[in-house]
Amino acid sequence: MSPNSKTRIRRFSPLQRLFHLLLILCFMTQATTGLARMYIETVWGQRLAWVFGGYTPSRTIHIYVGIFMLCIFALHVLYMLSKVNWRKFPGSLVGPDSMLPQPRDLKESIQHFGWLLGMAKAPRFERWGYWEKFDYIGVCWGMCLLGATGLLLAYPLVASRIMPGWGLNVAFWVHKIEAILAMGHVFIIHFFIAHLRPHAFPMDRAMFEGSVDLAATQHEKPDWVARLEETGKLESVLVPEAPGWRRAFHYVFGYCAVALGIFLLIVALVNSLSITW
Amino acid sequence: MLSSWLGRKKLLIGLALILMMTGLLGPAWAEEVRSTRYRYGAREVSTGYYEEYEVKPILYLPGGPLMRKGIPLESAPTEPIRWRTYLTDTHLGIRDYKRHHDCTDCHPQQGRDRHTVRAGITCDQCHGREPISGINHYWSPLSPIRRHAYICAKCHEGASVSYAEYAVHEPIPAMLSTRQTFPFLFFAFWMMATVAGGTFVVFLPHTALWGIRELLIMKKDRAESESKQQD
Repeated sequence: MSPNSKTRIRRFSPLQRLFHLLLILCFMTQATTGLARMYIETVWGQRLAWVFGGYTPSRTIHIYVGIFMLCIFALHVLYMLSKVNWRKFPGSLVGPDSMLPQPRDLKESIQHFGWLLGMAKAPRFERWGYWEKFDYIGVCWGMCLLGATGLLLAYPLVASRIMPGWGLNVAFWVHKIEAILAMGHVFIIHFFIAHLRPHAFPMDRAMFEGSVDLAATQHEKPDWVARLEETGKLESVLVPEAPGWRRAFHYVFGYCAVALGIFLLIVALVNSLSITW
Repeated sequence: MLSSWLGRKKLLIGLALILMMTGLLGPAWAEEVRSTRYRYGAREVSTGYYEEYEVKPILYLPGGPLMRKGIPLESAPTEPIRWRTYLTDTHLGIRDYKRHHDCTDCHPQQGRDRHTVRAGITCDQCHGREPISGINHYWSPLSPIRRHAYICAKCHEGASVSYAEYAVHEPIPAMLSTRQTFPFLFFAFWMMATVAGGTFVVFLPHTALWGIRELLIMKKDRAESESKQQD
């Protein structure tokens, strides 16, 4: 097979990959600085905070990266709105290329659970699987919740002008639990499904390269490939493999993120009884 | 007749003037009442200086209501102690109080909050020295009328009364008792815990099963390809 043979399907645009890259960098920074502050009573937390210059600089970084994340999220919302076909609205919101949940997703999730238990055939997925839609909507939900509570906690004096001070106690717990949910979901569920499960191993490079392997996709998302073939669009979305040096960089970067996430998760769990909750 | 009429007229004019003055005083009176509410709730930024009418206790009952009813003080640590927050000496009458050297001997939960553990703030920095007055007592630095200025603003410059409503000694949000003392926290905690727990309960087994299923399929495919090669 020549290096220029088109064996992959384009799945993400460069802008979508940039959003994801920024999300990775910001999320990892937030997870690290957040855990450093949360675990500051432990030696591990103090060492983690030391990387950023201590407890207070960790807080400062956490706040400004959080605000940056909110800006990126606002841009992403604008991007999403620009992608809606307003002439065919609201019909354009449903369809195989839409990230919004649809009745088909519920049916597929039930069938997929049946397949996991060996009781049903594997569902014929379209472009987006239900777990991918859940991940995406989970990020949006998390951005809203963590962003809102984070701003209240970052600027408590201003926040207490618009709500009673005890609202900060509530905001703190909401922020904390949502952050734990986000880290747990990304570091265990997302990392495993996207990179570590046997079918995707050693790494799903879709978000780095923008494309997925055609043969693997025919196996996992046959309805998407069939639709592209039927509509005659398959040829136009086929792309060649990325150069070796880029793939190597993607592997190194991706596995650094996976390793950092799993490290944070394990050490946080080990030290979880040593902190004031 | 005329003088009587003039007398009544004067009386009527006098009444009208009083009514007008009442009307004129009305807004000022309303403003004064409003200032008690709004200065603390919205506009106050910790000057720490107040008019006397703003801070003077309306009704101060020395000894607290239960004490006057003859309820023994010795049982206070195990009884609802809310009324003690109004005492000049909040530990008044507690048996063997002087033998305890550490506040957390009797208030263990109050030593586990972030202000105490992380910021290293000691009890007397906020509650004052002996005799420690109840947090609602007129002279206590933690009295709601000056808590924001005397205590919070030491570290949080610009703290308002609203800001001072932050619960430093936060109850454990998961506890059923918190439902009574801090219902918003209780329900917010359990709502978020349900969302997080529900996600993990569904997706952790889902993820594990997915991995196991694909491993089994790979093993089966490998066995099939090996048997084909042998054939």
